[in-house]
Amino acid sequence: MKLTVLQNKLKEGLSIIGKATAKSSTLPILKNILIRTEDNFLNLSATDLEIGIKWWTLVKVDEEGSTTIPYNSFSSFINLLPTEQIDLNVNNNNLSVECEDYKTQINGIDPDDFPIIPQVEEVNKITINSRILCEGLLQIIDVPSLSKVKPEISGILFSYNNNELKLVATDSYRLAEKRISLKEDKKDEFSFIIPQRTAREVINILKDLNKEVEIVFGENQVLLRVKMEEFNHSYIEITSKVIEGNYPDYEKIIPDNLKTQIVLNKEDFLNKIKAASVFTSKINEINLSISPEKGEVVIESSNTDLGNYEAKLKGRSEGEETKISFNYRFIVDGLSNIKSSEVIFELNDENSPGILKPVGKNDFLYVVMPVKN
Amino acid sequence: MQKENLWQSVLAQIQLEISDASFNTWFKNTKISEIERGRVTISVPNTFVRDWLSNKYHKKILKGLRNIDPGIKEVGYTINSSSNSSSVKTRNSESKKENEKAVDNQMEFQELSIDHNTGLNPKYTFDNFVVGPFNELAHAAGFAVGKNPGSLYNPLFIYSKTGLGKTHLLQAVGNKVKKEIKGKRVFYIQAQKFISEIISSIRNNKMEEFKYRYKDVDILIIDDIQFLSGKEKTQEEFFHTFNELYEKNKQIILSSDRPPKSISSLTDRLRSRFEGGMIADIDYPDTETRAAILKTKAQEKDLTLSDDVCYYIAENIQRSIRELEGVLNKLIIQQQTKDTVINLNEAKKVLKNINQTSSTSFSFNKILKTVANFYEINEKDIMSSSRKKEVVKSRQILIYLLREELNYSYPYIGKKVGGKDHTTIIHSFSKIKKEIQKNEEIKEELSYIKESLMSV
Repeated sequence: MKLTVLQNKLKEGLSIIGKATAKSSTLPILKNILIRTEDNFLNLSATDLEIGIKWWTLVKVDEEGSTTIPYNSFSSFINLLPTEQIDLNVNNNNLSVECEDYKTQINGIDPDDFPIIPQVEEVNKITINSRILCEGLLQIIDVPSLSKVKPEISGILFSYNNNELKLVATDSYRLAEKRISLKEDKKDEFSFIIPQRTAREVINILKDLNKEVEIVFGENQVLLRVKMEEFNHSYIEITSKVIEGNYPDYEKIIPDNLKTQIVLNKEDFLNKIKAASVFTSKINEINLSISPEKGEVVIESSNTDLGNYEAKLKGRSEGEETKISFNYRFIVDGLSNIKSSEVIFELNDENSPGILKPVGKNDFLYVVMPVKN
Repeated sequence: MQKENLWQSVLAQIQLEISDASFNTWFKNTKISEIERGRVTISVPNTFVRDWLSNKYHKKILKGLRNIDPGIKEVGYTINSSSNSSSVKTRNSESKKENEKAVDNQMEFQELSIDHNTGLNPKYTFDNFVVGPFNELAHAAGFAVGKNPGSLYNPLFIYSKTGLGKTHLLQAVGNKVKKEIKGKRVFYIQAQKFISEIISSIRNNKMEEFKYRYKDVDILIIDDIQFLSGKEKTQEEFFHTFNELYEKNKQIILSSDRPPKSISSLTDRLRSRFEGGMIADIDYPDTETRAAILKTKAQEKDLTLSDDVCYYIAENIQRSIRELEGVLNKLIIQQQTKDTVINLNEAKKVLKNINQTSSTSFSFNKILKTVANFYEINEKDIMSSSRKKEVVKSRQILIYLLREELNYSYPYIGKKVGGKDHTTIIHSFSKIKKEIQKNEEIKEELSYIKESLMSV
């Protein structure tokens, strides 16, 4: 293999695929990345057998070929090089790197031993803008449960129906749902669960791109593909396993016909909850009393050692008077992911879940279970 | 040759030819899932392994297989994520940890723990169902039905007051069948949900779909069937479903808070159907059983309860198992916030808080009324100085309750019940207290009175 590539291009590619290399593994080659030529493109791939990332760039290829080399050393070295042309040359699986006054050789392992990143056989496909996808994922990414007891809810549900994509996550204490309307014209209905880690990598890699992403859903696997602007050729491909099993029938969890509603200024509410958190006991409990008559919510917390806290917040409210307790962290998490300046907070009674949602836009909701009083 | 043996000898061969690291990565959790007419299907945990084996090791595998059985012509690969036995193991150990975390007061979405297809919650099993004299019959009937659904008691009708373990028993039967008898379709539903399903099916013209759903059920479990009371259309639909299943010897299990004959506005034909099988009731548990229940529940939640604390709670919380659980949860929080093991004094404090809140809810008048109602004696007679036997007894019970529940002083009680001397009051109180020790009847009567005090 013999080719010439720009330092900043190579650096970009390495930072994109790097997350998929295995940090520790029984199979040493998983710490390596695969470098190879494909016609006029340079292709870098990395995988840890759960997620696989591939990246392409147009280069000047003088001779076809491939090898695998340790990711960490290669990427640290490339980062230190000047932004000039780099000549890559493979001989006997070893890679020589030449750039200005630098000349190095990195020992590689036979590319035939590098795992094959599975091809995803397309069953369903949707297209979405990467920034919209990533912003949606960001709003719910921290919600999934980390436990392996219920593997289905350790991931994020992608549910497509009637030109609308729903992203859902829950940890059995709270549930977040983001709705994104797509320009697709498909009557299909399908859903799959992707691991939380895959979603995190997707956010890391795609959030600053502002490009169309194809999400190809196959059996056992999902592929996210971004194409190059100039050619009809892949630029980035993220392949991941999907989580087996049925996502719980989550819509049953979302209560309707709630008895109490209050509309609050989000920042004020968030600050007063955060202040209340200083006074909570070990179980993080804050008490809320909503009075539609007075049009206010009273936030209280107390700690036997420290003292107690009370704050009032005015809001437009209707329905019945109610009292309820929550873990403040869950409320803070929900509020932080709401983008509007005002929030709607809806409740039933002290033993039923409450809902937080933005004012003006019906694209996000956050359901949270109370703490038993 | 057995599938396992065949695969083992192939693996033994391959192990010699490739590095340890590759062998461990690619052949972990693989097995032969099927051998049919010279075609061997190997089940693998994921797509990566499938692609790798079929691209890189296919020849080695085929050669290995043919060395042992020359009749093998083809090898295929299939993905079976559940073959991942090691992850199942970690799941169990983690579920333990999960339990520890679940002790705090944060409530969960119940819907998530419920099995999609059956409506059952896997946490209810016979293993964690405590049996005592109070529920022996119901348990035995349920267990028998779980072993042999459809043939023994059909329908099985369980009734008891709330919070005594009906739902647990019903779901335990369902879970037992699901686990032990393959291919049986179990379906558990709350009567309220059943009703709302019928209503929405009627409204959306989807009645056929509704009927279809219940057609293939082998064991239908409906909880809190008393909610059908007064809902005629639902009763009619349920009657048809019931008959259809019953005729096909499908098991039906029902629960209610009262026996069929006491469910008001229930059509006669349904009532007689309910009474046609086995009716079992669950009574209030005795102190020993309550203590045993507490121990089991405490163990589930990883709380250490000393025997004296356990008995103290069991003696003082008599009304329902649900309430026992409530106390237990309070103790757990106490333990978490203070990081100390609960001793008897702390338990007393917790109980005192609970009892205080409940005692303030009933007044002198309420107790008087309840006692008078129970013994069917005029309130005025109790307050009088009548020496009639029944009147005296109910007066003594009243005095006992005033002292026990409201903590009135003896002279004050004397004043309240028609100007009696405080020595008379002390005498009455200690008489009943002694009676309770030896007279089951009085004890029972008192528990009924307390129960109705709570419920009104």
